[in-house]
Amino acid sequence: MLTILVSGLASGALYAAAALIYNVMFSTSKVLSVATGHTAMLGGVFGAWFISTLGWPIPIALLGSVVIGGVFGFLTDLIAIRRVLARSDEHLWLLSTLALATMTQQAVALWWGTEPRPFPRLIPQDFTVGLADQKYWLPVAIAILMALGLELFYRRTLYGKLFVAMSEDAFAARARGIPTDRIRALSYVIAGAMGGLAGFAAGQLTFAYFALGLTLSLNGFIALAVGGLGSNTGALVGGAALGLLSAVATYFIGGEYQNTVAVGLLMVVLLLKPEGLFGARNVRPV
Amino acid sequence: MVLLALVTLPFWAGDEYKLHLAALIGAYWVLIGGLNLVIGYTGQLSVGHVGLLAIGAYAFAILAGTHGVHPAVAIAISGGIGGLCGLLLGLPSLRLPGFYFAMATLAFALIVSELILAQTALTGGGVGLSVPGFPEPFDSPAGTYYLILALGALVTWLTWNVARRMWGRGLIAVRDSVVTAQAVGVPVFRAKLTVFVFSGITAGVAGALFGSLQSYITPDTFIFELGLFFFVCIIIGGRGGIIGPLLGTAVLTALPELAAPLAKLGTFFYGLLLLIVVLLVPEGIGRLFEIVLERVRGRKVDSMPVSPDLARLSAAVRADRAT
Amino acid sequence: MSSLQAREVTKTFGGLTALSKVSLDLHPGEVHGLIGPNGSGKTTLLNLLSGYYKPDAGQIVLDDEDLSAKPVQRRASIGVSRTFQKPRLLPTLTVLDNAIVGGWPHAKCGFVATAFSLPCTGHEEREMRARATELLHGVGLGHVLQRRANLLEHAEQRFLEIARALMLRARFLMLDEPAGGLTGVEIGHLSDIITVLRDCGIGVLLVEHHTDFVFRICDRVTTLDLGRVIKHGLPDEVRTDAEVRRVYLGA
Repeated sequence: MLTILVSGLASGALYAAAALIYNVMFSTSKVLSVATGHTAMLGGVFGAWFISTLGWPIPIALLGSVVIGGVFGFLTDLIAIRRVLARSDEHLWLLSTLALATMTQQAVALWWGTEPRPFPRLIPQDFTVGLADQKYWLPVAIAILMALGLELFYRRTLYGKLFVAMSEDAFAARARGIPTDRIRALSYVIAGAMGGLAGFAAGQLTFAYFALGLTLSLNGFIALAVGGLGSNTGALVGGAALGLLSAVATYFIGGEYQNTVAVGLLMVVLLLKPEGLFGARNVRPV
Repeated sequence: MVLLALVTLPFWAGDEYKLHLAALIGAYWVLIGGLNLVIGYTGQLSVGHVGLLAIGAYAFAILAGTHGVHPAVAIAISGGIGGLCGLLLGLPSLRLPGFYFAMATLAFALIVSELILAQTALTGGGVGLSVPGFPEPFDSPAGTYYLILALGALVTWLTWNVARRMWGRGLIAVRDSVVTAQAVGVPVFRAKLTVFVFSGITAGVAGALFGSLQSYITPDTFIFELGLFFFVCIIIGGRGGIIGPLLGTAVLTALPELAAPLAKLGTFFYGLLLLIVVLLVPEGIGRLFEIVLERVRGRKVDSMPVSPDLARLSAAVRADRAT
Repeated sequence: MSSLQAREVTKTFGGLTALSKVSLDLHPGEVHGLIGPNGSGKTTLLNLLSGYYKPDAGQIVLDDEDLSAKPVQRRASIGVSRTFQKPRLLPTLTVLDNAIVGGWPHAKCGFVATAFSLPCTGHEEREMRARATELLHGVGLGHVLQRRANLLEHAEQRFLEIARALMLRARFLMLDEPAGGLTGVEIGHLSDIITVLRDCGIGVLLVEHHTDFVFRICDRVTTLDLGRVIKHGLPDEVRTDAEVRRVYLGA
């Protein structure tokens, strides 16, 4: 039973990381990217490839995964967001990020294969350590570090403060001379890099698997909606809630109902508190 | 002319494979035609209609196969169940903003997959079910084709009627400017739900037809990528039209069959097409043709000043107030 | 015939009070001006009357019906219509279709009847087309009936919105800064149209910054400042009022 809870918490940490990524991208663009989960998928797949196939040392592979994630974030902004935000049609970004997500997922499937492949050990550790296994606490540690890192970034650094300014009123920010296009691109690079890192850290839990992208986009979104759009605390709580609930439900009802349970949780929260547990009243996505 | 070609298709199509392909396009169109009102006219971006297709297919297989219900009745019931599920899905999710709604439909498709896999007693689980064909005179490949053609034509006619009348304009208002829709009195949620239930019915019927064409269905027959394919056919074909998505369906279904390299790329290709359309011609290929036609015809944009005809205005307003 | 009334309405957003105990009567067959500096609450009042906001206190009443909690669509169905500060049109439809959509409340054929093309739909469609065509010619857009709405000039967009609002069989028409971006000649046309509508018995609420225009054609004027009514009466009374001059017109 304890293993179930710990495993659920670890999965939940990955969902929380995805929710954090949604928040970062949303803050500067008011866009929720369907390709959010794919940043982590790429981190996991490329991490496994770097270490197992190319034989790179682990720190270099980690750096590589983060860079891949960052590049993907940049490409997301370049291809799917920039041209589309200028147009008046409100939902084009949904279509463009969906297209990008589909292409990425299928490209990886063609290259990497459709079977989940194992992700190598990152820290020397016996496989019999049970609950202390790094595949559980690595994702949790990374999620918490990311949330703390974002807080420091938003409060202490100039760029972080620019992000906050943009998220509150992009129009006013631009009027004050803030280069909103570049800030947005930077935020997407950071978000992508976070994804690469999260995918790398959670690789041993999820395996390197092409289909992770879409399911993580969905679960990350559920964590986001439950916790409240725009709240990083909410992201952590929402992710934990979703992970734990799914794990417990799997234990009692069976693993076939994971999605049903996840959506059930979402519905309950949205019915009771539509803006999420920690969400602000007026934060409405387009 | 096109109608003649469609009706006589079994005679010139060549082999049974091409006939089967045409029937498949028709079955897809029965779903996509209904979905077109939801996505193309009302602007609700549902990516999960494959779930309703699956429900329709399994309903038909279970009713007509396991329980021996007459296929015609089974098709009707499949449509009804599809509509009911559309209602159940639409009620909570149609009030949500765009991204939330899309995610809800995605989750729906995944949940349907899960439930089908889990309820092995009913659905055969991962092993699947065989799907019966239709009775005479529809049991031959040509017969099945004509049945599908008839239903496809019916869906086309129904949606074309809705599109060109007040309902079509009201739906477009919901899609392009909710504020306007409210201002002119359109009951936004009820309108969305109505077309969504309609699309559920057509998806249920399409499921029965599709399942029968496949003759054997498993949960893997209804992967999410198929739902994405329906969605892409409409966006590429062009929102706000009937012919565009119809051609889009025909072309996108046939393309991988006729060009083998594309078949290998599969869903990647659809994603790429979607991206290109969104970035370059967001209104769809249909609109592209219109623009080309206008260029060829040389549209003259004469700029005349606005000059009200006050007498006519007065007469019109008084007439309105008299009724 | 009854008027559309705002009775002591108050509206706050967060900590900000946009309107405080504001009353206004819009009578049929009159043109009622609503003026005031930016932030005085004009658009808020318009949104309250048309149903996009609900009042925190006070009521919106028509025909002894308390409309305060009723949605925009309910008001549309009883003839309360409006235009918008920035014209809201359906860019992919023609001018004619954009106008016809305004007739929605009077299109009684349901979804199923429409889908099966029952006789009532053809009948209704013909009637709507005829009415819309007349109204469009009336406001001066007869030459662009088949043009796509996103290709229209600014003035054409504004007049199209008016035609659409009239398709509602409007009893009350509320115009939100309709003169914005119009040339002098076009404002003249707008003026003529509003006068015709008034003479036909429609109650017109004119929210405007072009004060000359307002004082010229309005029968009564209400002035708002910081969410309160500071003067209400005949145009000449309002124009010469000391408080109004201080706050808005300049001495």
